[in-house]
Amino acid sequence: MRKKRLLARTPVLLCMLLATLFSYAQNKTVTGKVTDAKDGSPLAGVSIVPKGSAKGTTSGVDGSFRITVPAATRTLIFSSIGFGSKQIDLSGDVIDVQLSATNTAMNEVIVVGYGTQRKREVTGAISRVGGDKISEIPVPSFEAALEGRAPGVQVISGNGLAGSGSVIRIRGVGSISASGDPLYVVDGVPIIADPFIRTNSGAMNQNPLSSINPNDIESIEILKDAGATGIYGSRGANGVVLITTKRGKSGTPQFSYSNKLGIATYTKKQDFVDGPQWLQLRQEAWMNDGHTGLATLPNNIPWAVASQTNTNWWDLLTQKGFINDHSLSMSAGTSKLKTFANLTYSNDQGYLKKNAYTRMGVRLNMDYNVLSNLKISLTSAYNRGINRRVHAAWDGGIGDAMSSALPIYPAYNATHSDYYRGYTNPVIALNEYQRRQTDSRVLGGLAVEYQPIHNLFVRANYSLEYTRSNDDQFNGPQLDTSIHSGYAQRSPNWGTNQTGNITANYLWNPGEMHKFNFLLGVEAQDYRRKGYTKDPIVDYTNKPFWENPGDYKRVRDSLLSAPAPMTELAQEMFTFNSFFGRINYTFHDKYSLQVIGRVDGSSKFGTNHKHGFFPAVSAAWNISDESFMKNITPISYLKLRASYGVVGNANFGSGLYYDKYTLGANSYVGRQTLYYNYPGNPDLQWETLHNVDAAAEFGLFNNRLTGEIAYYYKTTSNLILKPGLPPSTGFTDSYRNLPNSKILNQGLEISANLKVIEEKDLKWSVGGNIARNQNKVLKYELGPDAVSGGTNDTRIVKGLPVGVNYLVRFHGVDPSDGLPIWLDKNGKETKTFSLDHRTYVGAVQPDYFGGFNTNLQYKGFELSSLFTFVIGGNIYENSGKYQFLGVSKKFWNFRKDFLDRWTKPGDVSKYPRLVADVASYPGVPSEDQFNSTMFLRSASYLRMRELTIAYRVPRAALKKLFFKDFRVFATGTNLLTFSKYPGGDPEITRDFENSQDRNLSPNISYLTAPTQKTFVFGINANF
Amino acid sequence: MQLYKLSLILITIALASGSCSKFLDRPPQGQLSKSDVFTNDSNIVALNNGIYTLIGDGNFMGGRVQFISDMLADQLDGSNLQGDFSEIYKRQNSIFGGTRDDMYKKAYLVITTANNILENIDAVSADHRGYIKGQSLFFRGMAHFELVRLFAQPYGYSSDNSQPGIPLRVSASLNSIPRSTVKQVYDQVIADLKSADSLLPADAGDGGKFYTATKWIAEAYLAKVYFQQNDFANAFKYADQVINSNKFQLDADFTSRFSLGLTKEAILRLANQVGHFQPGSEYINNWRSDTKPPVLYFTSQFYSYATSDPADRRLTWFSNTIKPGFNSLTKYNFNFMEEPITHLTEIYLIRAEAGAELGGANLATSITDINQILTRAYGGTSHNLSPASSASAVISVVRTQRELEMIGEGNRLQEIKRIGARTGTNIDRRGSPWTCNGFILQFPKAEQDANASFQLNPEGGCF
Repeated sequence: MRKKRLLARTPVLLCMLLATLFSYAQNKTVTGKVTDAKDGSPLAGVSIVPKGSAKGTTSGVDGSFRITVPAATRTLIFSSIGFGSKQIDLSGDVIDVQLSATNTAMNEVIVVGYGTQRKREVTGAISRVGGDKISEIPVPSFEAALEGRAPGVQVISGNGLAGSGSVIRIRGVGSISASGDPLYVVDGVPIIADPFIRTNSGAMNQNPLSSINPNDIESIEILKDAGATGIYGSRGANGVVLITTKRGKSGTPQFSYSNKLGIATYTKKQDFVDGPQWLQLRQEAWMNDGHTGLATLPNNIPWAVASQTNTNWWDLLTQKGFINDHSLSMSAGTSKLKTFANLTYSNDQGYLKKNAYTRMGVRLNMDYNVLSNLKISLTSAYNRGINRRVHAAWDGGIGDAMSSALPIYPAYNATHSDYYRGYTNPVIALNEYQRRQTDSRVLGGLAVEYQPIHNLFVRANYSLEYTRSNDDQFNGPQLDTSIHSGYAQRSPNWGTNQTGNITANYLWNPGEMHKFNFLLGVEAQDYRRKGYTKDPIVDYTNKPFWENPGDYKRVRDSLLSAPAPMTELAQEMFTFNSFFGRINYTFHDKYSLQVIGRVDGSSKFGTNHKHGFFPAVSAAWNISDESFMKNITPISYLKLRASYGVVGNANFGSGLYYDKYTLGANSYVGRQTLYYNYPGNPDLQWETLHNVDAAAEFGLFNNRLTGEIAYYYKTTSNLILKPGLPPSTGFTDSYRNLPNSKILNQGLEISANLKVIEEKDLKWSVGGNIARNQNKVLKYELGPDAVSGGTNDTRIVKGLPVGVNYLVRFHGVDPSDGLPIWLDKNGKETKTFSLDHRTYVGAVQPDYFGGFNTNLQYKGFELSSLFTFVIGGNIYENSGKYQFLGVSKKFWNFRKDFLDRWTKPGDVSKYPRLVADVASYPGVPSEDQFNSTMFLRSASYLRMRELTIAYRVPRAALKKLFFKDFRVFATGTNLLTFSKYPGGDPEITRDFENSQDRNLSPNISYLTAPTQKTFVFGINANF
Repeated sequence: MQLYKLSLILITIALASGSCSKFLDRPPQGQLSKSDVFTNDSNIVALNNGIYTLIGDGNFMGGRVQFISDMLADQLDGSNLQGDFSEIYKRQNSIFGGTRDDMYKKAYLVITTANNILENIDAVSADHRGYIKGQSLFFRGMAHFELVRLFAQPYGYSSDNSQPGIPLRVSASLNSIPRSTVKQVYDQVIADLKSADSLLPADAGDGGKFYTATKWIAEAYLAKVYFQQNDFANAFKYADQVINSNKFQLDADFTSRFSLGLTKEAILRLANQVGHFQPGSEYINNWRSDTKPPVLYFTSQFYSYATSDPADRRLTWFSNTIKPGFNSLTKYNFNFMEEPITHLTEIYLIRAEAGAELGGANLATSITDINQILTRAYGGTSHNLSPASSASAVISVVRTQRELEMIGEGNRLQEIKRIGARTGTNIDRRGSPWTCNGFILQFPKAEQDANASFQLNPEGGCF
């Protein structure tokens, strides 16, 4: 109902605004456009006054202006804070004016939701990362390049699998079961970024972001507080990542080509004992348990075979991968038409054999000025990512090499005529199994921008995102010897995401001191993703479906026309319908106030809560413009800002408030079956975030030192919980908002950049950022084990951070008998393990994280590097416990760092005596319950994320050549890692089961493939 | 003019988004809502049909309840079991464990689904309302009975059976409820099964296959429940009625019982339909010994005991050569099976033992019954009891035969407890007292996390 009233008022409100404009009398009208001399970007809010008069106007958001002046006027004065002023003599009715910035830091153009603002006017917390930083290093997916670049933005890079996604947390995590991922918006369109579309198939989450082309990106703005994300209402709670793609610029056609060629390997791997040593340790464990004779071996593999074998599975499964990345783009523009086009091909093989991610992309962005007040913009891209996947983690492959593929197992039989079968042998799948996941995305948008009258801009935009994903698998005949043909399967899905919005932007300047910018908008989004009722589609055939599309088509069509046909089925559908408004008011160019309101309705919200209203208010004060600051010369720029707002988190699945009764695919004796699968909840709604932000932005010593200090206080209430029902209801899960629940994220972010040397030929700058986030569950009423991350030992407990480690404390080894000593709940030593001894011993969230960088330029040479770091927090090695028990009946690989064990009375060792059965440690029920601080590690690390050496050929030398600009570079990523973590790579993004697991269990490792280390060299050439 | 255009655009948008109530409604496709189900007779019938597959599902009676029972009992060599299998085998089941949790949840889903149907039973058309109601009551009674035997100390543990049982759910709700006493649970189980008995038909109408519940499965379960309570008069009565229905016959061939369609013994038989529901997967997964080493196999001690008589035709169920190094059961070496939920052999064994316990005229029935079993087992009358055998001798033979007949069917555990409650003796080969804590499963921790006052079982104390 609320939205209808709002809508009904919209035209009225606008009419009132417009009416004020027709009261002016006129003599002569001058029109034109004001742009930034530096980059040609439009300058809004430039004051335009006839010389000798006080009455003037200001330029609009696109820099255009229209002024009516007495016929005798000769000169106009253009002025804007930060840009100085310029007098222009009138020679015609149309003039274009360029102003040069006097203070670049203040005047950077920042993309905000549904518009842009100059940095000085911005009242919200926004971090901007330029596109050059995104495309600079080879990363599995563009978002990984944000690591260490923006304060308060925690990026845990994807693991070593090609194309894997990162975990991004903006100012902490405030959700349990709902996703803590930010909203991704590409050129104004909220895109589909759900990593769980294919759940956790094959121990990897499909990452829809990986198909996005880093070379297309002009800039990424990360919106952090309610002052910035408020305009996204129910979807603003986790922050918003705005991705703006490149557009054509005025001028003659510019071509640019860049490439990267290089190799990929792994950062740090785990080291395991070899075959003979494994057998020796097995025997030791066997004897320790009081057995005699030779130890039993897994599946009774003969000792004769085992002792003759020493397979290095890691080496059999890894390689030096080749990175091959090319991008060609063109930018051209006249005053009528501007075009940007880009073609990209990249192939990252990764270090795992048979693993590769290939990305192809085409982009065409055009802006056409049909009339002086009518512009049509086309934004279009086609991206295709082909992920040649391999088994990983719990699903095999490199995971096997770290777990159950023992060095005592041969890969091949004695004569090499066949694989050695019946034991874990990842080489079989490496050779005989193929998986190819293809994700295509077409993102097209058409916007019409019309200026019916001066200072009023109406923009209508329609965007269509179409995604198609095929997950193909093929088992060769050798994989299952009972099927001699081979077995192909494909799981397809396709989605359409339509977004339409109309915004009206009106600038109103009642007098010199006051400037208003009104924005009103409506938006509707409709997403549906479909698949088939029979999934996957399979066939016994000798080729994968992608090599034999005709066969796939045949099988699919026969299923579609079968007597009980397979049909298309929507897997997910949701809609949003929104109304929003924003008022920016600037007084004296020093005080800015912004008020935002958004009403969101969504199909995700239960019938009892269909709409939510999300308000935010924020303000900024440019102190450095006050007259009393003029004499404080070291301060070149100082701005204070603060915001408060209420935003929501609607990042959870669709249709979750409905009861679900599902017709069974299988009948019982030919009779239709039906199942009660899920209890619904019509009260389901968004999570509510109350968000306070206060910050100071500064520029000192003529802006040699710039930076920002920000404090925020966020509380999330109405928390969405999926699990935790008593299982005697027949269910464990039902999405619901927990009454009396609250999570706090409060923190401090500091970022600074210092230009140490700023000479013509020598430039040196250092910069960095650090953030401290305190995360705490303030209100929560369920027991400690009600919610856990995936299969891991992190928990939600009142008074502690989201995702605490809840473990038995390991206190050391008794030198007399080598048995572990534990601490019970009260801290008393005991040698009997019990799950009752579990207590809160750590958390997966870091205390501090950030990055620092340095950039040195001497003439054409450039040396730059980026370091990232994490201080505090814990890693829990969930697979480590099994690796330690490797020579027990668990039969896993045994890690070398566990060799520091007890072997005889008197030994002082880090780890206890080896056992053949974990129950030999008194009280341990089973391998699975052997969770203790024995495997809890510090998560702190420092990593040299990037090191680049580049040389730019001097322009003088290029003159004779074809090129306008030519740069060669060599870049290494993740070259150095400093960490005490014994389990390999300390930066861990596991495969996650669901959003809850992703919230609770970053830093829980389970056979996770270490991150890539890469070396590339390449060129950037403009011509 | 421009103003007019603008207003027109905005009004158009307003109208277009005016029908938002539909636009904001995206029910999940391929799903029915509660009102879709309980306003449509065929949907309720389908919900009822689905329960058969929930029961025969791997997580519940399709092998899970049975092999958990066998792991807790005393015939298996569990030294190589890992994870929660090992915990259950070692009788130190802890608060976590998916094997148990999934079974618990599935059993309660059967109960919840039955309660949903019972609460909306008026929506079922009158001509089969009683039939649907009878089935739901049977499912609910059966599931509560199977759970209370695994999660609570047995009937007879205390004189008034006031020991904590399980949450007794007779209405659909998402709230936590405390555990009822064992007595309360048994009383409800008996009441449900008796109501089911009165409502269910005498014939499944499928030519003697008994793919759906009849009054005979309700009565067979009543016989089992009373027998578990050592209430021999009632156990005898219901077993007798099932046998006298003459609807079922003992199989001559020992490979028939879990075969595809050959058995005549099954009081209720879960049907196997190729490409559709196929019951009993967890029997096959854990016991199968021809295509892979079995997960579950016997101790050498038990194996030699069970295979000591070369005349025993049931030796066909055993092999220590099919996978060298494993004392395997071959009973479930199939790709697929039809699963009997209670078979006539068990009913005969109940009547035989109950009859001997009752004595008098019933002892003769008892001897006839056990001789039928013995004749089949040993291919003749060589092992038969004389009609003059004493009751205690008969009971002893019946118990031995029960163990051999029902090997791998999860029966032994409950015998250890029933006989413990009956005579106070511990027959466990591992030497644990029948009342020790670890002989019953721990509840899923989630019950306590949802409600801190939920009472968990004490753990440990067994060998």
